[in-house]
Amino acid sequence: MKKKVLGLLLAATMSIGMLAGCGGSGSADTSASTDTAATTEEAAPAADTSSEEAAPAAAASGEGKTYALVTKSAGNAFMELLGQGFKEAVEASGGTAIIKDPASATADAQISEISSLISQGVDSILVAANDENALQAVLQEASDAGIKILTVDSDVAANSRAVFVNQASTELIGQTLLDACYDIAGGEGQYAILSATSQATNQNAWIEAMKAAAEADSKYANLELVEVAYGDDEPQKSTDQTQALLEKYPDLKVICAPTTVGIAAAAKVLQDSGSSVKLTGLGLPSEMVEYIGEDDAHSCPYMYLWNMIDLGNLAGYTSVALVNGDLTGAVGDTYEAGSMGTFEVVDVNGATQVILGNPFKFDASNVQEWADKGM
Amino acid sequence: MAGKSGREISAVPEGGLKEKLLTWEGALILIFVAVNILGVIISPVYNATNVLREMPKYLAEAFMVFGMGYILVLGDIDISVGSIVCLSATMACFAGNAGLPFGVVVLVCVLTGLCCGMFNGLIATKFTELPTMIVTLGTQIVFRGIAEVSLGSGGSISMQNTEGLSLIAKKIGPFPISFFVLLIFAIVFITLLSKTTFGRKLYAIGSNQTAAKYAGINVQGSRFFCFSLLGFLSGVSALFLLSTLYGANTTTGNGFEMEVIAMCVFGGIATTGGKGNLIGGFIAAFIIFCLKIALGQRNINTQLILVIIGLMLIVSVVIPGLGSYFGAKKKSTTK
Repeated sequence: MKKKVLGLLLAATMSIGMLAGCGGSGSADTSASTDTAATTEEAAPAADTSSEEAAPAAAASGEGKTYALVTKSAGNAFMELLGQGFKEAVEASGGTAIIKDPASATADAQISEISSLISQGVDSILVAANDENALQAVLQEASDAGIKILTVDSDVAANSRAVFVNQASTELIGQTLLDACYDIAGGEGQYAILSATSQATNQNAWIEAMKAAAEADSKYANLELVEVAYGDDEPQKSTDQTQALLEKYPDLKVICAPTTVGIAAAAKVLQDSGSSVKLTGLGLPSEMVEYIGEDDAHSCPYMYLWNMIDLGNLAGYTSVALVNGDLTGAVGDTYEAGSMGTFEVVDVNGATQVILGNPFKFDASNVQEWADKGM
Repeated sequence: MAGKSGREISAVPEGGLKEKLLTWEGALILIFVAVNILGVIISPVYNATNVLREMPKYLAEAFMVFGMGYILVLGDIDISVGSIVCLSATMACFAGNAGLPFGVVVLVCVLTGLCCGMFNGLIATKFTELPTMIVTLGTQIVFRGIAEVSLGSGGSISMQNTEGLSLIAKKIGPFPISFFVLLIFAIVFITLLSKTTFGRKLYAIGSNQTAAKYAGINVQGSRFFCFSLLGFLSGVSALFLLSTLYGANTTTGNGFEMEVIAMCVFGGIATTGGKGNLIGGFIAAFIIFCLKIALGQRNINTQLILVIIGLMLIVSVVIPGLGSYFGAKKKSTTK
């Protein structure tokens, strides 16, 4: 009896070992197609750099260097495009890209990923932060290990990173979104905001900018913000929140969703129910193509976004420049971002940033074209 | 069927039971060694320095294994621990930002956990007809709700004075302080469960609550104690988690309850009660941590890591079940 149990257990141990081993090679295969992780070949140089790191090497290009990106979470189309652009730029510079997608959109999950990257001795870590403050300790640890830290899309406290690669200035996005609401509502009436999580740094900054812009000009006086709802970037919760808004505010004219998950969920709710409430915000063309149009059959007249692939590209080139030493992150620094031209570090409210450009307007005339590009 | 086999095993003479448990823990040690060998094979940077450096964030979770082990041995379950961690961490941040000394912050953190645990225990023992899964599902929502309400619209708070936190995040040699604290806790709680009459009473309650009651064991008192203990340990977890997070938000501790239960079950503690040993849960925790670290260093995508750990869990539950299945078959044929 005892022998039998022991035998079974040994078999279990072996099978688990094999299982884990299979998982390892299996994912290395899938990573090549999904771009979610480094391939087998890429992992090897990642390890080598840890030993080189001690030497103050300053190669001219990204040759032999490893640049990492920690996204907000897996399964986010927005982040996948960012990753795609990042990978392109890094590989064009001769470097190796590692892209880590945390299992959930939390700071906790990002800490584990960053911690693992420190072990691997990467040269730079680019983070789209899930929480402004919670990453401070682990980023400090990474800095101490000689790793360059930068942020993209969603920032952390300015002293935790060298530079923030911003898609467009916060004020400009706030102003643009408010103008869209004003225009669609016809200059007066109620509007609501459907955001992501209540602690998403970028969302909160844009909402604040919208409020500030509304106060700054008396022409927005008849436009009333009734509620900021949080759909947590989950399709189901965003749907529920949209329905709740419609029930609570029968006079609602416009919903503004500055998040790609939220706007897609809200667009479906509004269009399916034939509601007269209109929608605008920030959305992905590929997800919104069937909802965009001027007539009553469509829920969203127009929306905005920036080119996420470009943003990823810029973030990739910025990573390379930081590691090379072409860029220190100080205000006024300029550097070449590959084919994208020259960029300059600017100061926005005491935080150093590189700004990609203006938000881009998607309406019925161009949304199909951009959706076909895979955006 | 599981309950039945659990009862059957607890009726086996002392020697047989012990032998069986010993082999499962032996297997766990083997698996632990296997995972580490695997780590070295698949990741060129899997070494003691890096593993210990990545460990603190995971270690924080391990404190709850002891309390959860006790609860599971009793045949109960507590799925509110993630929320308790969130609430404790939040309250500690408020205390810290109010300018209270760090000693008080530690007290606030741990006492918040204890109070939550006592609240769970109170409901579970006053309304014994309610399944604890449902009770703690309710408190899970309540505790996180309180944290969310106090965090307000920002949903996030950071500790302004991180001096105290960085003190407990310090290392002695290559080992983080939390590792030593965890070891001390491990020795205390493993001894308490396996070497004292109190521990034996818990097994008795888990095997057959009614019989235990008529044998003069204070069933509800013991249950209250264990729930309070788990709350307290969740507070301790929150404290060490804070030392890596420097703050709290509405998602802090999300999903911890399931991870901790997984560690216990993988360690051989049956959710049906009266069976299992904390040593198993303790080793299982480290197996899961090391596996996560190794696969993470290999840049395997996180969903796949979860799949692997899930499969391991299923295998670990099925294997002992197979043993008793064949055992029972043999018995019936010899009859």
